[in-house]
This record gives sequence, C-alpha cells and structure tokens, in this order.
Amino acid sequence: MRRLARPFLAVLAGSTLALATLVAGVGAQSKEPVKIGLAAAVSGGSAASGEAIKRGIQIAMDEVNAKGGVLGGRKLELVIRDDEGNPAKGVTIARELVEREKATVVFGGLHTTVALAQVPVWTELKTPYMGAWAAGTNITRNGQTPNFSFRVSANDDYVDKFLSRYAVDVMKKGKPGLLLENTAWGQSNEAGLGKWLGEKKVKPVGIEKFNWNDPDMSPQLLRLKGAGADHVILVANAPEGAQVVKSRAKIGWEVPMISHWGISGGRFAELTGELSDGVVFVQTYSFFGKQNERGQALLKALREKYNVKGPEDVVAPVGTANAYDGLHLVALAIEQAGSTEGPKVREALESLKGEYKGLIKTYKQPFSAEQHDALTDADYVMVAWKGGKIVPVDVK
Amino acid sequence: MFVQLVVSGLALGSMYGLVALGYHITWVTSRTMNFSQGHAVMAGAVVTYAAYVGLGWPLPAALLLMLAALALFGMLVERAAVRPFFLAGSPAWLLSTIALGIIAENVAMLSFGKDARAFPSALTRKPILLGGAGFYPQELLIPLVGLALMGLVQALYHRTRWGKRWKAVAWNAEAAGLMGINVPRAVMTAYALSALLAGVAGVLLAPILNVAPTMGTIIGLKAFAVAIIGGLASAPGIIAAGLGYGLIESFVAGYLSTGAREIVGFALVILVLVIRPGGLGGAPMTRRV
Amino acid sequence: MARAGWLALAVVAAALPLTTANTYYLYLGASAALLVIVAAGLNVLVGFTGQISLGHAGFYAIGAYTAALAATRGGLPLWAATIAAIAAAAIVGSVVAAAALRVTGPYLAMVTIAFGIIVEGVLVEWVSLTGGPGGIFNIPKLPLARYDWVVAALAAVALWTTANLRRSAWGRAFLAVKGSEVAAESLGLSPYHLRIMAFTISAAFTGGAGALFAFLNGYISPDSFTLQQSILFLLALLFGGVNTIAGPVVGGLVLTLLPELLTRLADYRLILYGLLLLLSIYWLPNGVVGALTRRRPIPRPERGEGDQRGEGDQKVEHGRPAETLLALEHVTVRFGGVTALDDVTLAVPSPGITAVIGPNGAGKTTLLNVLSGYYRPAAGRVTLGGLGTVGAAPHAIARLGVARTFQTAQLFGELTVADNVAVGLAGPRLGRLLGALAGLPATRRRERFFHAESRARLTAHGLAACADAPADALAAGLRRRLEIVRALATGPRLLLLDEPAAGLTPNEVAQLDAALTTLRDGGGPAMVLVEHHMDLVMALSDQVAVLDGGRLIARGAPADVQRDPAVIEAYLGAVQA
Repeated sequence: MRRLARPFLAVLAGSTLALATLVAGVGAQSKEPVKIGLAAAVSGGSAASGEAIKRGIQIAMDEVNAKGGVLGGRKLELVIRDDEGNPAKGVTIARELVEREKATVVFGGLHTTVALAQVPVWTELKTPYMGAWAAGTNITRNGQTPNFSFRVSANDDYVDKFLSRYAVDVMKKGKPGLLLENTAWGQSNEAGLGKWLGEKKVKPVGIEKFNWNDPDMSPQLLRLKGAGADHVILVANAPEGAQVVKSRAKIGWEVPMISHWGISGGRFAELTGELSDGVVFVQTYSFFGKQNERGQALLKALREKYNVKGPEDVVAPVGTANAYDGLHLVALAIEQAGSTEGPKVREALESLKGEYKGLIKTYKQPFSAEQHDALTDADYVMVAWKGGKIVPVDVK
Repeated sequence: MFVQLVVSGLALGSMYGLVALGYHITWVTSRTMNFSQGHAVMAGAVVTYAAYVGLGWPLPAALLLMLAALALFGMLVERAAVRPFFLAGSPAWLLSTIALGIIAENVAMLSFGKDARAFPSALTRKPILLGGAGFYPQELLIPLVGLALMGLVQALYHRTRWGKRWKAVAWNAEAAGLMGINVPRAVMTAYALSALLAGVAGVLLAPILNVAPTMGTIIGLKAFAVAIIGGLASAPGIIAAGLGYGLIESFVAGYLSTGAREIVGFALVILVLVIRPGGLGGAPMTRRV
Repeated sequence: MARAGWLALAVVAAALPLTTANTYYLYLGASAALLVIVAAGLNVLVGFTGQISLGHAGFYAIGAYTAALAATRGGLPLWAATIAAIAAAAIVGSVVAAAALRVTGPYLAMVTIAFGIIVEGVLVEWVSLTGGPGGIFNIPKLPLARYDWVVAALAAVALWTTANLRRSAWGRAFLAVKGSEVAAESLGLSPYHLRIMAFTISAAFTGGAGALFAFLNGYISPDSFTLQQSILFLLALLFGGVNTIAGPVVGGLVLTLLPELLTRLADYRLILYGLLLLLSIYWLPNGVVGALTRRRPIPRPERGEGDQRGEGDQKVEHGRPAETLLALEHVTVRFGGVTALDDVTLAVPSPGITAVIGPNGAGKTTLLNVLSGYYRPAAGRVTLGGLGTVGAAPHAIARLGVARTFQTAQLFGELTVADNVAVGLAGPRLGRLLGALAGLPATRRRERFFHAESRARLTAHGLAACADAPADALAAGLRRRLEIVRALATGPRLLLLDEPAAGLTPNEVAQLDAALTTLRDGGGPAMVLVEHHMDLVMALSDQVAVLDGGRLIARGAPADVQRDPAVIEAYLGAVQA
C-alpha cells in the first residue's frame, strides 16, 4: 500500500488542476454579451440537424447584433454543446450551459428523448428552453409549473391531427398503414395518430416499425400491403425515409404516402431521385417557391456564410427555419423582460407584446400560459416532392 | 417475398463475410484485429464517392484510388495502433484500434459532411419484380462478387508466397522471423489486405445503404460476430457464417419484425458459442500444458 | 502516506457539495462517482481475473430499469429499489457468465457485446415493461447536494470492498486464475467457477451504479445503455490502471472530466478525444496508476539460507511401509494421429520417489498431465488411493491431494512470493465471499494465519527475504523453488515434479537434492519425478520407470534400470558411472 503514495498525490494534483480549470472558466468569462446556448446533436448520425439549427440561430443572431443587440447594446453570442443524442449527456450540457456559461436561453435539437430528459433541469435552473426541432408532444406539455419549455417547431399532436385530417378528409382514404421509426419520436406519433384517426372513426390496418440505418423496409411495406392499406402514413428521418420510398418502388407498390416532416432534409431528393415524386409531407416552412422578405434574406445569408447554392442545397431546412424565428422571438422577449433573468424572460415569452413578422408566419402573442408551442396545425403547410423540388399542396 | 428475402440476405451476408475475412486474416497472422474495420468499410465508400461523384472521375479510376487509399489506411492502423502492442504481447491494440476508429469517423464527418449522400449506380435504378416483391440487380451482383473475392483471398492464402509467409507467421512468429521472414511487414500486408476487403464491401454496399460517416459501424460489428461464430481461424467457416447470418437476419426481419432482428441475431451468436466455443469452423481448443 | 492521499480525496469529495451550489459541478461529481463504482466492479473481472467485458452497459441498464420500476410502479423506497437492482444484475450476471465464460479472448468479448446489444434491443421492444424508446419518467430523485454525498460514500464503499477482496483469499484466487489457469487448477481452484464469481460481482456493482444513475436523472431511456457506454466503462478502468485500487478513481474522474474540458471544441472534440486515448494507450500501457507505481528492488536471498530443511512442510505418516498410492493400468493417450502414451502400467508407492526418465518426446510430461487430470486417456485406468480419477477435472484431482510443478514454472506473477504460497495454503477453501468483501474479523484472522504460515514455509526454504517481492521478478532457480513450496503448501499426498532441475546451476541442483531427500525422509508426500539429470535420479529414486516413444520399456530399482540394455540403447548411451 505504501507504493501508492506517490501516484496518489499525483492523481490528486491532477484532478484538482482539472477542477481548477473548470472553475477558472467561470471567472474568466466576460459579462458583456448575452449568451444563447444550443444543446443539440453535433456529432453522430443526426449531426446534420444540429448544423442546420446552428445556422438558423447564427444568421438571426447576426441580424439582431447588426441592429445593436439587446438590452442597450449587448451582443448575442452562441455557445454550442454536443448532446451526442444521449439523454444523460444532454442533462450534463444543459447544466453546463446554464451554470458555467450563464446562458440566458438554451435551444434544443433533434432528439425527443434528450429534450424530455432536460425538462426538469430547465425548471430547476429556471432557464427557458426553446425547441427548434424535437417534436415530442410532452416536451412542451410537460406538466411543470412554471413551464420553462417553449418551442417553435412541430408538435407531434398537432402534426398527427393535421395528417389525419389530410388523409381522411382530403385524400378520402380510410385504411391507413402506419410506418414509424422505432424511437421515442415514432412512439409519440403512434399515440397521436391513433388518437386523431380514432376521432375520425378510422383505425390503422397495420403499424410497422423500422430502425435507424435500416436499408430495406420492403418486409414492412409488404405486410401493410397484405393488410389492405390504401395509403401509408410515414414518420421517418431523411435517410430512412429515402429507403422507405426506394423499398416502395422495389416491391412495385404504388401506394399514396403522406409523411411527417423528417423527409424534407438530409438530401432526401438526392437519395431518392424521381421516386420521391408525389410523396406528400408536412412542413413548418419551405425554402422552395416564392419567399417572403425574410426568406430571401435567409437564403442569401446561407449562400454567403455557408456556401449553400440554392433551396435544394439547404440541409435539414426545418431546423434552420424554426431556429431563425425562435431566436428572434427570444431576442424580443429578452428586450421586453429588460433583463437576462430566466423567470423574467419566461414571463416575457408567455406574454410577448407586439407583432413579429417572422419567416414562417407573423407571430402575435405566440405563447401563453397554456400554449408553449408557437406553431399549431393552422400554421403547417402540406407540400410534396416534385422533380427534386418541394411544391405546396392544397389542404382544402 | 421469400425470393426477395433470400436475395437481400445473401447480399448483406456476403458482405459481412467479406469484412469478416478481414478480421480473420489479421487474426491468423498476428492474433490481433482491427476494431475499426467498420470504418474501413465507410472509408471505401467515402473515398470512391469523393472521386467518382465529387471529382467526376471515371469509376475504374475512382476504384483504384480507393484500393490504394484503403491499403494505406490498413497499413496506418497496423503501424500506429497495432504494431507497438503486438510486439510487446499486450492486448491494448483492442482499444487503440477503437480510438483510431473514433478519429476516422470524425475526420470523415468534417471532410465529407454529416448527412448521407446517394451513390449512383445503374444497378439500383430499376428493381426486378418477382411475384409481388422485388430486388435490385445490385443485390444479385454483391454476393457473386463477394464470393469471388473470398475465393480469391483463399487462393492467395494457400497458393502464393505471400500466403505462405502469412501462414508461417501465424504458426510461430518468432521462428518465422528467424527464418528470414520480415514479420512486421507480413503483418502490415495482412492489415492492408484486410482494409481493402472492407473498402470493397463499402463500395458494393454504397448504392444500397447510401454513403455516410456512420454507415460502417454496425456492419463492422456484425462482421465481427460473423468472424467469431465462423471461427476466427477458419475462412470457410466465416464465409458460411456470413451467408447464414445474413439470411437469418433477413428472414427474422421479414417474417417477425425488425425489432427482433438484432435480438435474435446476437442471441444466436451466443448460442453458437455456448455449443461450439471455437466457432462453427474452429477446432475445440485443446490446451497444451 | 497513501492513507493521507485517500483522506485528502475524501475531504475534497465531502467538501464539494458544501463549497458550491453549481449544479453542473455537482452533477459531474455524481457522474464521476458512478463511473468509479462501475470501474471498481469491473476491476474485479478485468483487473483481478483477467477477463474482458464489452457488455456491462447491459447490467447498468438492468440495474437502472429494475430500480426505476421498483421505485415507480412498485413504490419501493430508494434504498430497497437499489438492493433489488443489485440482486437482479447479479442474477443475470451469473447466468450470462455461466454461458460466456466457457470461451476467452475475442470470443468472450463477442459474447459480452452480444449480451449488451440484446439488452438494448429488449429495452426498446418490450414496451409494456420498459416504456420502449421513450423510457421511464418521473423516477424519484434526491436533491443534488445530498445525492453527491450518498454516491461519494457509496463509491468509497465500492473501493473499500474491492480492496478487501484483493487482500483476501478470494482476491488471490482470482489473480491466480489470471496469472496461470493451469497452476491454479493444480492447486484445487476451479477457474470456471471463479470467473463466474468475478463476473457476477462486477455485474452486481454495475447494477447498483445503474440504480443510482436512475435516481440521479429521474429519467432513463435505452439511449444511455449502448455499446459506446460499455466501451467507456472499460476504457475508464484501463486508463486508470487495472488491478489497482486507485485506478478506478483516476479513470472515473478523468473520463468524466476530460470530455467536459473538451466541450468548447465542438466539431473537433471527438477527434481530440480519440487522439488523447491513443496517446495514453501508448504511454500508459498499465494505466495511469500503473505507470506511477514503481517496483521495489528485489532482495536476494542471503548466503547460508541455501540449506532447505523443509521444516514446516506437511508430514504424512512417518516410517510407514511403502504401499501403492497411485496406479496406472494400461493407460493410452492419443492426440490426433500421435500416440503419446501406449499401454502404460505403473504403480507409484507411498512413501517413496518414483523417477520417470526417457528421451524428449517420450511422453513423460504427458504422463504427469494424465496423473493430474489435464489430459484424458483414450484407454486405461488411473486410481489414486483406490479411487478412479479418469475424467475428473484437474482441480478435483488436486483436491484429492495431488500437487505438481510444471516444466516452465507457472507462478502467479502479479502476486507476491508469499501470496503464491498462500494460494497453495488455502487451495479451494476461500472462506465466505461476503466476509472477504466486508473485511470481517473471521476473514482477518484467516489472513493473519496465511501471512504467518506462508512466511514460515518460505523461511524454511530460504526464500524469506523475497517474501514481498512480486513473483515474476524472481530469478529462474528461485522460481522453481517457489513453485515447490507452493505445491507443498497444499499438503498433498502425491507431488509430481516436472524437470525441477532443468536449468539449475550445480549448486542449486545439490540444494534441490537435499530438499527432496529431506522431504522423503521426513514423512513428506510420495513423489513422481520427471528428470534428465541422471545423478539426481539415481541418487534420489526408489523406483525408476523408463519411457520411450510412449511405451514403458523398463521399470525397477535405479541400478537395475541403469544396466538395462534397452534403456541404454534408447536413452543412456554409453554406460554411466
């Protein structure tokens, strides 16, 4: 045991040094800028989503800073941390962003499980969360009082309502086959679709699941076909969505397909070629077609800053669009609150004054005590792929 | 559906077998393995994509570049992550190859980008429809090419001088060294070949799986399982195990559910090892006392 | 001094919740403590017993989900839920171990990987039990500051119990199996069962940590229990240093804090992480603690300690007439196409020394291996004291009173010289596991006995000065001696010696001669001696058996055998003096 003396002291020295650098990090931080955090997947399979959200925030931030920032000249600054798609990591970086980086508001990423794990942390640390992607219903409807989780993004419950209405009322189909990814997001939608289809007295003829990185979904489609499905409702991200579409062609089943938003990004069109034609899906926003003033400015900024050539080159567009509007709303709330204190900013968000002519829509009182989602099914658009471009589809 | 499941099962299975042969080759020469073999699969697809689609090179030129790049990758793995430990008899190569894999994946993310890209191929454009189900010509091509390559590797091992050197090193590295065989170089060429095989698998699979920095990890893992249940020292065992595993995966996903696929597949791996601890093709391990 | 180090660490850990309300630091502290607990448990499997596991995230999950379900649906208080988690993980661990530990090396790695992936898959698919991909919510939590103390204390308990284990007969048995499975068996230990025990203990620790993880976050989902997590566990232990008590602490702290120090680097973070790992594997092959721990110089035995009187060695009945202890009848052993032993019949009397001689490859070592149970004959019977032993495992035969040495001395390199002897003293009688973990008085009494007795035996054989040196640092001649002392410590009826004089200097051979003579005359065990040193053989043996090509070509008194023409032809060459 005596042998351990020296290594022991070395270890102690080492860990004290490590802790010291962590603590020093706190002291060294400047007081001037207002920090906005982003906790998202920056590495791994979903990294494209994190990148897209970061771009949306950054471009909006540049606009705000160009006009003088917030709270009398303080610039906004973005601090990014990687949640690696892991809920425990998500909790760690949530605490780090608030306690060490002193972020005023933290934006969220793609993973519903990470966002769910973080919900109690925002309440504990009294810091508002602004979701820019993860659509799990319970992220904003989380039973916390006061509720610190906000979102400018899709909410699965609304999306499922939207999709069900389209399938039953517009497409006039009565035998849906559900094809969902085997994750918390898929689970959330399974519940939502069951509920909203049920309201229309429709029951799915089959519910099939697939995993991330699966190359082939033909067995699932064949089973849905065998069960008599007359349309398929898809909940998938771009790579898997592409494989679903390719599988559909592979088995030669020309069945109408409507989808949640995942297939808008990640080069879905490139992966599927003309097979994607006719696939209908929901979006919060589309960069194709005529853009409003903000849309044009955003595309221009994407081109200049990130070398994005055109709308078909925008990777994971919903992340960028949602985050862009989210940041502007947050800036307005900070300004209205007159401080960076979490509870005050939260209250400001819930009672935002005035009107913000945003990218996705014009926001008037986007949040309230009962409503923490800025976008509802009234704001969603239905679009379809056609020739590698996204075109709007009528939902009447 | 049955025909389709058989075809896609054989396609994927033959690729598992090809990558697994990579594990086998380095194992028999040096009792070490490249735990970032899955990343070699990814590198094959990424490099070919970069040349073929990115730079617009003709496909044969892109493939040649890939072969060269992957041989280099294999040699780098051997030199940096394996040789220091192999010579010292330490098992640390396990973790060092894993560490190298982490680096490789993230370098790919920085250079290639984070999202999946399509690999164009004439053989995945139109499916062959057969009785309500279908498969791509590429899926037929893959097992044929795969089996041919595996046969080639076997011929290389048993009929060429290189192969003889590998065998000598496998039996007794020290004695082989004393006989004038450059042992580190033999191990290095084994690693180069192992990476090449993985890279080829990556290119063959790219049109079906799409190219992404994370595409190879699960393949590398399943190929490892195949190498184990086939018996690390038995190439025929591995080839058979690869095809078998691919087929079983395909049938389980097809007739049961995709959720069950990994569970059943890996449960079978455990079962095989409980019944035959040396793998299907391996001899029961006798101890020398 | 070391104690001061541990005390300082304890003070820092206790002070953390008092000096800061920063929940980020508190959370990191708790996470580090959890990793320390897992690494400490894994150390029992990897460090002590030399096995590998890349599937321990599966036990982490079993612990977390059991605790979560027990606390939420079962309404159990947190401490009870944690105990349930430990029990569940231990039970599953023992089942997995029973299946997995029939294989080693990469095969074992694969089985553990497969186990981890299967658990992950079940967590996702069995929605009614686990909540599926969405996981389990609203698990009761402790306030973070109080929680930090609890897990820090539990981490200390984990380290303390593994330290106790290391010092006990169980710990030595694990290290014996790691050092030389073959030698461990020859002392009556069953490697298979010991490995299962080590695996189960590590699973239990990991399951407990998993429960604490659930209570730290209040929410668990399958994403936290992936192969990456299993790799992280192993990495923490290997980086810190296996088979040390401080290793898990270093590994747990560094691998929790290091990623945090790198967070500002976003895109490059993982590349740097991989590079740092790679570099640490190069420079710190034994982990941090291994690199910092220096070896003490090995003391040489003093002159005059050369005469080994063999006192204290076990005495068998003194002065009894020789009767047959061991009998081989028509034993044949085949390996593939080669017949190593062909119809050998031999009786070994006790007391007495039977020598087995013959050219290389004649089957001498094979004979010893059959007698000790490592090889199974294709035909024939072997009886020990009337009991048939064919088919019995080596450790079972060892427990019947057969001890042996090996052609190349099979020492337990990581154990000290004294501990090697202690393994022999204890044999399969390891005492109660819980007593070993908790350091109970009964266990401590046994330890004091082992300590004293092993040193007494070493003194009798002139090895006392080296008692605390690691065994793999001994010089060649001393290694043999230690092996013999260790074998004798089991109190055998029969001692098998495989070329004990090989490679010894003439002086050392004389010492060996004296020692064996004393043993025989002093009522020690019967001996079977395989040797090439003809002087030694002729001087010592009561009976000589000659093997050639697997067949017994001569048997009898030394002088007769020496003159036998067949023997001269096959082996001895010209007439010896």
